[in-house]
This record gives sequence, structure tokens and C-alpha cells, in this order.
Amino acid sequence: MSVKVNIHPVLRHMTKGQSVVEVKGSTVGQCLKQLVAQFPETESALFNKDGRLLSYVEIYVNRESSYPEELKKKVADGDEIHIVLMLTGG
Amino acid sequence: MLTESDMERYDRQIIIDGLGQEGQERLKKARVVIAGSGGLGSAVSVYLVAAGVGTVRLIDHDRVELSNLNRQVLHWDKDIGRRKVISASEKLRSLNPGVTIEAVDETIKEDNVARLVAGFDMIVDAMDNFPVRLMLNKAALDRNIPFFYGGVHGFEGRAMTIIPGRTACLKCVYHGSIPGDKIPVVGATPAVIGSIQATEVIKYIVGIGELLADTLLVYNGLDMEFTRFKVKRDPDCEHCGKWRDEVKNEC
Ligand SMILES: [Zn+2]
Repeated sequence: MSVKVNIHPVLRHMTKGQSVVEVKGSTVGQCLKQLVAQFPETESALFNKDGRLLSYVEIYVNRESSYPEELKKKVADGDEIHIVLMLTGG
Repeated sequence: MLTESDMERYDRQIIIDGLGQEGQERLKKARVVIAGSGGLGSAVSVYLVAAGVGTVRLIDHDRVELSNLNRQVLHWDKDIGRRKVISASEKLRSLNPGVTIEAVDETIKEDNVARLVAGFDMIVDAMDNFPVRLMLNKAALDRNIPFFYGGVHGFEGRAMTIIPGRTACLKCVYHGSIPGDKIPVVGATPAVIGSIQATEVIKYIVGIGELLADTLLVYNGLDMEFTRFKVKRDPDCEHCGKWRDEVKNEC
């Protein structure tokens, strides 16, 4: 089982510049945990102290929003996760 | 009715299949609010005014600062210290004197937003903060008019078109903002996103093409990629949820 996690440009300095990280897992939560295991700096950029996703972090699975229960969302081999951040500038 | 000069000025778009004289007449009758005269506002307003949208209302309460000039291209060095809506409307009127441009030098707030958008057919979001974006989102839903969202950060931007009663609204997809008060932006980014918003407005008015409905378009200038993400209407949304349909049915 391999799932591709697309890393938002703002977070790439935490993944040694990698734009895509391959992980294993059957839910979004498991996949993101693996991402954090590989790149520990990403933890504080994605989760709050209670382990919940930060409010401005958006998760898409195969380009579809996985809100509201993002971490429980099931993923399968070959799926793609996108980590995207809400932008506010104008 | 289009004048002879209109026919010549808009010739290159009138010859577009599906736009034609009828589409141009629709553009001429349209009344659009552009909320914000900054980076996004500069791009959106230039292309809507050039396209012959009949009435454009610009709303912004800021003055031009030196640090705006890398991206807010309607404001020039000589405009530093002037009101943004005055600086912007001056340029837009000389670009196209046939368009009515209203310059509203006010801060958009809960208690004036309904008045500021009254009598208009659509609202373009060219704001730089979320509290006001959400006020505009709600005002558009209350008036049952479309709302064209845009946002930028660095080399990245996003856009989405909201049609009341039909698509997810901004509140459905908004759950929080990146912290920090100084937002990095390279000027070409709001130019890309503002041009996309202007394209959506023109398509909506003319009635051609597919809108960014239930679709968040994300532009990543660093990788030079556009990605379309599917979003859903939240039935419990505070702004557009099912309660709104129920209230409407009771009336
Ligand atoms: Zn909504």
C-alpha cells in the first residue's frame, strides 16, 4: 500500500524540499502520522496540541475535499492526498 | 443598445462564439461590486472595465503606500498617500470612459455591507482578510447574487465561484486562516487570480462556459501548476445551509 502525499509549497522546507512523500496507511490520519515520522517538523505545521488538524489545513483525497472528518477518511493504494493551506492575501 | 464606438471598442470579444452583440449588451447592463482595490482588485477591475461591464463599484478605505506598489498595479508612485479608490477610479475612467465607476471610500463592516452591495448583480472578492470576505459571502447569499472568491499568498493563489442555492459557499470551505499579519505576495500572483475572477464574472454575465462551481482552483506558481479540487456544500453551513432553503419555503 502506497499513498502519495502532496506537500504544500509553504511546508516543503520541512520535507527537505520534497513535493511528494510516499507513505503507507489506510486512513488519512495514518498517512499523515507516517509523514510526521519521516519529517518530524511537519507535526506542528499540521496538528494542534490535541492532535487535531489545524483549522487552516485542508486535506483533499484524489482532489476531493475530505472535510469534516479528514483524519478518518479511508485511503487505498494509489490514492493521492493533497495538503493545502487556506490563503488570505489579496 | 451598443453604439458604433462600442462595436469597434469591443470588436475582438464580440466576435467570440457565444458572446456576440447580445453578450456585449449584457456586459453593458451589468452592475458589479469589486470589494478591495489592492492586488486582486487592480487586475479584476482593469479587465472588467476594459471588457465594458456597465457599472463598477469599487470599495476600499485604504490609502496607497509604497509597499503596495509591487503588486497593486493601478496605483503608481505619484499616488502614494492618496485614497486607493480615487487613484484606481481615475485610471479606470481614462481606460474606458463608457463605464460608470463608483468610488466608495468606506470600510466594509457588518452594519454597512448590505447597503454597500444593494442594487448590484454580483460581488467580486478582492479583499486581503477573511472576516470581510465572510461578510461579503453572506451578503451575496442574502441578496441571492453570485460571489467570486480569490485569495493569494506568495506564488500561490486560489479562486472559486459561489452561486447561491447551487454551490458550496466560502463559509462551507473556510475553517481558519494561516496566522501572521504581513502576507507575502509577488505581484504576478494576484494578476493571475484576478484575471481568473474577471473571466468567471464575464462568463457568468454572458452565460457561457463552465464556472468554478463547487470547485476550488489552486494556482501554484512555483511548480507552475493549476489543480482543481472538488468541494461540497455543507448542509449545516451557517451561511448557506439547509436552514436557508427552509426559511425561503416558508416565506
Ligand atoms: Zn456554505
